[in-house]
Amino acid sequence: MSFERSARAALADEQLRGALRHATTLFGERRRAAMATLPDWEGARDRARAIKDETLLHLDRYLEEFTANAERAGARVHWARDAATACEIIGRIAAERGARTVVKSKSMASEEIHLNAALAARGIEPVETDLGEYIIQLAGEAPSHIVAPAIHKTRRQIGALFAEKLGMEPSDDVAKLAAAARRALRRRFAEADLGVSGVNFAVAETGTILILENEGNARLTTSLPRTHIALMGIEKVIPRFADLEVFLQLLPRSGTGQVLTAYQSLLTGAKRRPEDEGPAELHIVLLDNGRSGMLAAPVTRQSLACIRCGACLNACPVYRQIGGHAYGSVYPGPIGAVLTPQLFGLGRSSELPYASSLCGACRDVCPVKIDIPALLLHLRAEVVATRAGKPRLLERLAFSAYAAVMARPRLFESVVRLARMLRVMLPLGAWTKWRDLRPLAPRSFREEWRTRLRHEVAR
Amino acid sequence: MIRTADARREILRAIRESLAESAAGGGAAREGPVEPRAAGPGSAVGSTGSADPGAKPRGSTGPAAGASKDVVSSFTERLAAVGAQCTVVRGEAAAAHALADILTDAAARRVVGSDAPLVQRLLSALGDGFVRERLEGLSRDGLFACDAGVTTAQWGIAETGTLVLESAREKNRLLSLVPPIHVALLSSTCLCDSLGDALARMSRASHAITLITGPSRTSDIELTLVVGVHGPQVVHVLLLEEEP
Amino acid sequence: MTMRVSLFVTCLADQLWPAAAAGAVEVLRRVGCSVEFDERQTCCGQPAFNTGYRPEARALARRLIEVFESSDADAIVSPSGSCTAMLRHYEQLFEDAGWRARARRLGERTHELSSFLVNRLGVEDVGASFPARLTWHDACHGLRDLGIRDEPRRLLRRVRGAELVELSPASVEACCGFGGTFSVKYPELSVAILDEKVDAIERAGVDVVVSGDASCLLQIGGRLSRRGSSVRPVHLAEVLASRRSSPP
Repeated sequence: MSFERSARAALADEQLRGALRHATTLFGERRRAAMATLPDWEGARDRARAIKDETLLHLDRYLEEFTANAERAGARVHWARDAATACEIIGRIAAERGARTVVKSKSMASEEIHLNAALAARGIEPVETDLGEYIIQLAGEAPSHIVAPAIHKTRRQIGALFAEKLGMEPSDDVAKLAAAARRALRRRFAEADLGVSGVNFAVAETGTILILENEGNARLTTSLPRTHIALMGIEKVIPRFADLEVFLQLLPRSGTGQVLTAYQSLLTGAKRRPEDEGPAELHIVLLDNGRSGMLAAPVTRQSLACIRCGACLNACPVYRQIGGHAYGSVYPGPIGAVLTPQLFGLGRSSELPYASSLCGACRDVCPVKIDIPALLLHLRAEVVATRAGKPRLLERLAFSAYAAVMARPRLFESVVRLARMLRVMLPLGAWTKWRDLRPLAPRSFREEWRTRLRHEVAR
Repeated sequence: MIRTADARREILRAIRESLAESAAGGGAAREGPVEPRAAGPGSAVGSTGSADPGAKPRGSTGPAAGASKDVVSSFTERLAAVGAQCTVVRGEAAAAHALADILTDAAARRVVGSDAPLVQRLLSALGDGFVRERLEGLSRDGLFACDAGVTTAQWGIAETGTLVLESAREKNRLLSLVPPIHVALLSSTCLCDSLGDALARMSRASHAITLITGPSRTSDIELTLVVGVHGPQVVHVLLLEEEP
Repeated sequence: MTMRVSLFVTCLADQLWPAAAAGAVEVLRRVGCSVEFDERQTCCGQPAFNTGYRPEARALARRLIEVFESSDADAIVSPSGSCTAMLRHYEQLFEDAGWRARARRLGERTHELSSFLVNRLGVEDVGASFPARLTWHDACHGLRDLGIRDEPRRLLRRVRGAELVELSPASVEACCGFGGTFSVKYPELSVAILDEKVDAIERAGVDVVVSGDASCLLQIGGRLSRRGSSVRPVHLAEVLASRRSSPP
């Protein structure tokens, strides 16, 4: 479905819009309160961005350093050029170990490569264990927010879903719903052969991966099963262990408005001795899937600085109205509107860079200062230059005519005079269905200037 | 069949080509090579922590020993803010009493402790009325049936109310996660001021370092807070001050 | 010494909101500037730039750079934050070092009206009188590209008879949903965003909503009018030029 149509459908869904208004407003308030607990917010943003810029400019070397150190600590590192390869690697590891159930903690990269479908095709059951992800998996939906995947659902809808799928008494008591999920998922954790997680940061200096969360499901996923597979985009690497500090200051504050999330797991290789706790094997899958191409220009390279906090979604006036599903991508909102065309091709998502009023609120809240409006403008220029997506014949014609007229002041004046006489004004219908259109002034400023203003002096 | 060595070469080449294109287009140049740092397990690169349980804390901001009243009070304040409980005790005998009280108040009967000597000593001092499970040989179902897990914590972070648990020091991963109640014993000499301070002190010999800030929580339904979704509902810190 | 100002009127103010442009001339003269206006100027090219038509935008940018280079005025002043921000973006349209330098120079010479009055001239009281309860709408490009937040508020607080009422914290810096071609490409979405802003304006119980950009005022005013609201959209330059003693 086109963005235009799905956005229109979302706008007609009052329940959805109520849920979004509630959640995005609350996220915004919590973020502002949490920001105030860090004395030098701007300084932290600058430091974090500088670390990301440094890493991205030397990404090849930091990835090699990370790989060497992770392997030295006992991890196996796999490289995947694209989504299919990543799914193949993970599917093969699972199959070779005879895994029937795979428990998963929240991973946007796994959504990006559609890992669940790939595992299911091999007869392996993927079980999402983050409460939000579990809800949307039961509902057969996709996440609608980077941080809170089920943000579009009300407690009543979730109560009805759990009653149907888990056989519990219908309830809209949030604690009861969470307890039902805990019970159901404990059984799945007990039987799981393999755990799949994402990665928030990967430290080149030590080969450590770091996973942030609040629920404890990622800790269960990475502690209980015999095998742990961590899937990460190649941009997740940072140079030094000490660099974690600034990112741990920024990410929870920006994402959920917490000073720190409940858990950070810092995992360096697999367990060292048989009697140690934790998985016997750790596999790390490095995913490119279009990322290396983004390094080719500074404007696109900054997309890779994203730490997936979701603050730009909550701040975006467009996202606040329509939510994540309308974007038709696992990455919604402002950052999704710039990531999706770069990851999956401009042809299939040529509308997304236009799904913004360019207000700049996303840039203001971004903890790593990604200039999302500049990226949107860059991608719009790409859409026009490469003729991606629909033909836009009328639009091209209109802008040629516009440029021709605006280059000639006398012609410009004649055209406006004619429009005034005929009482026409583009763009008519689209504008006037919901808004009155202010008519052209009886006399333009330049006419006033010529006849009156230029001769006057200060009063 | 995927040849991972080929994929690696291919991705690295794609990265280098893109970066070269960017530099040619006036983008920032890659000034100066970055020296790869080798840092295997246990290597001392930038690490000030140690796997030796007897090691005294050393850190960039000076020793934490003799933690000031300020650090203790800001730690306990932050613990309260994140929904964790804290009891400050002086000496092991007092700690044993406090542990029994905490478990009794929480109606915890089935208790499992880590292999840390201090934990073992405190658990053996518990009176009757508790079932002490042994971690060795405990099945997943057995672990899931426990009411409380008792571990030590290697560090506390005052500015965030965070516990740091290192895998090299004891078996703490599952005990601090699976039972609904987690009691953590922490020496007040191991309090760090800040997250950065703690990162500098952590033992990188641990294959798993876990940072815990309050109980398990979720806000995935209407952003409404629920505590204890997958991990413990109760996190109780027993802060041990040294006997005078 | 008299400051010589060349007016960058913007095509929108020229044709749809001439009172804003005339108001800017009036205010600038009142504070002691001499004002010139070069009739060769048309559009800054922002609609083309924002829609992805860079060659078209570049051609118009080149034109406007040449038009203003022919003036030795001390400053170029515009009653629009958005179009001023566009001129500051001109540099990125060019690869040629010469044109980049010329674009940068134009950006440096150009100022949005309220910022020019407060920051360049150090004037806050322009001798205006406008008896009304009014609220201020921060236009996004002025606010976020140019960092204009306090300047218009300081000017409005010195207007006799005017009572400045701020919108609720959640709405004060919210976008009106205009976004140029966005308002035409996705009209329902644009209006959904707009309605939140208009709701906040109506809740504030004001007579007038003031902004520094004619584009936002077209959007907000168009919806206010359709909803039958009594709140009127007025450009900042109109308020600052006003000498009226009775409510508008």
